[in-house]
Amino acid sequence: MIDKLNEQRRVLIKGAISASTLALVATSGLLLPQQLLAHWPTDAFSAEAVEDALLALLGQADIADNTIIQFKVGAPPSYAINGASVPIEIQSDLENIEQLLVLVEKNPFPLVMSLELTPEVKLPFKSMIKIAEDSQVIAVIRAEGKLYKTTRFVEVDIGGCA
Amino acid sequence: MGIPSKDRIRAKLKAGNTLVRILLAHPMHTGRAENESGELIPAEFIQDIRCWRNDREVLTIKCGTATARNPYFSFQLVGGQQGDTIMIRWVDNLGAKGSVETTVK
Repeated sequence: MIDKLNEQRRVLIKGAISASTLALVATSGLLLPQQLLAHWPTDAFSAEAVEDALLALLGQADIADNTIIQFKVGAPPSYAINGASVPIEIQSDLENIEQLLVLVEKNPFPLVMSLELTPEVKLPFKSMIKIAEDSQVIAVIRAEGKLYKTTRFVEVDIGGCA
Repeated sequence: MGIPSKDRIRAKLKAGNTLVRILLAHPMHTGRAENESGELIPAEFIQDIRCWRNDREVLTIKCGTATARNPYFSFQLVGGQQGDTIMIRWVDNLGAKGSVETTVK
């Protein structure tokens, strides 16, 4: 009789332990799909100032302007009729570029895109972005640990509702 | 929209390098625009795009909401030859996925 009781006690303890571990795992968020999905830097993309976005992504917001990046926004340059799709083109002779960022200062969330490049990728990089209103557009390149920045002012006729 | 849109990719050799052009079919809703009846359209945008050349990952593009509708990207890969496969995979904020691949011409 006592043996049987003991056995039941064992089962109960075991059950309790596994239940509590499961609960722990569930609450820790390990099973949430968002966490599995994203190495997507949410805090950088939801930052509302250029400095915050740069800090979140590069750990540094203070970058000197540099002419080593050739950067075109809009067609014709520095002007866009429709802010919903503004062509950009980034060209540079820098080697071993590790990261490339595009930011629009006056957008609700300035960070537009962040590229991680391997040495196999070669510029120019072209894309289309949304620009909410007349604004500075900033390109940042990290190459061999150094940061370079170029800024262009763009006039927009119709805001891109970014 | 009359024509059903789909992801497109082109890759061709240009002066010894591979020129890759990508056009993805995606509405890229920011979550701030309204539809005809004044309701907010929920955010739906591509977050992560990855590019492979012959099973080797060469480029990662992370997008915010400010990438234009039907995102277009163009870049070059050093070297390469005819018949290389270039593959793109993307994921949006709702978990929808897409992939498209081509061979270098």
